[in-house]
Parts: sequence; structure tokens; C-alpha cells
Amino acid sequence: MSSASGSAPISAELGPRVTLGALFGGFLKAALCSVGGGLLVWTRRIVVEERRWLSEAEFADTLSLCQFLPGANFANLSVCVGSRFRGACGALCAFLGLTLAPLTLALFLGVGYLHLADLAIVQRVLGGVSAAAAGLVIATGLRMLRPHCRRPAALLFAALAFAGMVLTHLPLPVVLLGLAPFSIAGPWLWTRGWR
Amino acid sequence: MTGPAASWALASHLAALSPISFGGIPVILPQLHQLVVVANGWTTDREFADFFALSQIMPGPNFIFMLSLIGWKIGGILGAVGATIGIAGPACTLTFIAFRLWHRFRDAPWRLAVARGLVPLTIGLIIAGGWVLAQTAGNGWRGLALTAATAALMLRTRINPLWLLGVGGALGGLGLL
Repeated sequence: MSSASGSAPISAELGPRVTLGALFGGFLKAALCSVGGGLLVWTRRIVVEERRWLSEAEFADTLSLCQFLPGANFANLSVCVGSRFRGACGALCAFLGLTLAPLTLALFLGVGYLHLADLAIVQRVLGGVSAAAAGLVIATGLRMLRPHCRRPAALLFAALAFAGMVLTHLPLPVVLLGLAPFSIAGPWLWTRGWR
Repeated sequence: MTGPAASWALASHLAALSPISFGGIPVILPQLHQLVVVANGWTTDREFADFFALSQIMPGPNFIFMLSLIGWKIGGILGAVGATIGIAGPACTLTFIAFRLWHRFRDAPWRLAVARGLVPLTIGLIIAGGWVLAQTAGNGWRGLALTAATAALMLRTRINPLWLLGVGGALGGLGLL
């Protein structure tokens, strides 16, 4: 990853005078365009191509940090982009741009849901949507697993984490903190011993 | 427990889960189900799955809004705002700090080793989250077949996920599940 060496002059050349309003507006646009998912597509299009806030390499680099950190990936990404140009205020503006409008929409839908929840048709429709949505989550997990197909240790620890949650019903922190030392130290010691 | 006390309890529980939600909010779904449905009865299984479904058709970082909806059910607007801040605040603060350290340590071997170790756990937890949801949706074997078909289409094609959610809703509405 030699992204930083290549990206520094690019961002300097862009002369980033990014206003708080632009951060709010850019992420608001990304949020509103992403009806039905595709937030990755729209965030990249706006941040990299349209506003040119980040280079392609910087975007990938920042996104991988955000995926690694806890929390919602794109909320984290908005915080990174905002803080990069305008510090804490920028982070807050970008985050609010991303979340305020959809949150308002979600609450209006929620009001509707609680009034209509007893209607059998609403329950059946949402039951179908959530079955499909569960499939999307599983597919996302499997897609993320693809690059690790050839690493037996990665597959083993993914399976152990899955089993820990589904079969044992242990609390998440127990599963995560119980497995993490082994999943980090195991492959590391293995590769060192191999040399 | 209802009203402001419940809203506060939800927000503080979410604030504790937020900094350990490595890999995103789907990772904490099983834990969230335990907290919201099993331990406290704040929502039914049905509502839990429905809020998830509703949040999935929202634009933006939509997993956050599932928590907003649960907070809204428990304590109205304040409950929704509290749950949103609870789930997003600590993780975003951590991100803010981590982003500043990111460049300093970008080539450190220990950082690469930590990432290599955590990513598989994250993936296993995401799939577990989907598994739990498929079961709370409560549609029996037809629902599970729909879940499996959706996952397969999502993996094999570049179809917009909105279509898959729409087809799921239509099948459900027609009483085919």
C-alpha cells in the first residue's frame, strides 16, 4: 500500500477549501441517492469523482479503515472525510448530512408501521422483505469471505465466530474477545515460524 | 420497564455495544436481539424483524435507523434520538481518533496482523447476524428458501438489492410465504 506517497500531492493540488456546508450537502446527496442500498457507489461517486475530495487510492484506504473500525462503515467514512478537511466540526457536519434526512424518513415510516402493524397484509409484506434482507446480509458476509478463501485459518475463525453466536448464544464481547487473541496471534506466529 | 427509563437503558446499552461493533452493525444483531426482545421484551420478534426490514428500504447508513426505530417504539422522539446517538456516537468518536493515527502507523506490521486476525471474525459475525434475522422473520421453510435465493442472487448477479427486497415483499404480500 503505497497510496499515501502518491496521494499527498493530489490533495494539495486540489487545494481543499471544503466548507462545512459542502460536507453536509455532499453526504446528504449521497444518502438521498442511495435508496435501496448502494451507499458505497454513491459515496464514491460524490467524494472521488464529483467533488474530488479524495483520490481513488485515498478513498479505498479510508474505507478499509472504516470497515475495520466498529460502527456503521459509511457513518465512519463521513467522519473521516469531514475531519480531514474541517476537524471535529467537519466530521459532525458530514455525519449529520448523511443521517438527518434518512432518519426523518425512517421515523415517518415507523409511525405508519405502528398504525398499520396489525394489518395482516403489512405483516406479510414485511415478513417477506425481512427474509430477503436476511439473505442480503448473509450474501454480504459471504462476499467479504471470498478474498480469504485460501486461508484455512481465516475460514476456521469465521466459522468459530459464527458458531459462537448462533450455537452457544454467548454475548458478543465474550465471543469477540475470546477468539481475537487466537485469530490474531495464530496466523502471525504461523507465518513467522514458516520463514 | 418503559418510557424514559427504558429509553435511557437502551441508549446506554447501545453505547456499550457501539465500540465493539467491529465490522458494522449487522455484527451486533444477535446481541441486539437478546437485549431488545429476549431480555427486556421492548419489541416482539415480529417487530424486531419488521424494523430491520423497514430500515433496509431506507437510504443512507440504514442499519443505524433500525436502532432509531426501536428507540422510537420505546420512547418516542427522545428514544429515537437517544438510540441513534448511543449506537453512532462512540463508534464515530473512535473513528475520529483512529483516523488521525491511521497514517502514522500505516505500515506497522502489528497493525496488519491485527487486521488479518479480526477480519475473519467480523465476517463470521455478519453471517451469524443474517442467520438470526432469517429465523426471527418467522416465515418457516419458504421464508428460509427466499433468504437462500436472495443470498444466491446477490452473490451471482449485480442486481440492485432493492429489487430483491421488493420481490420478497411481494411474495409475502401475496401470501406465498
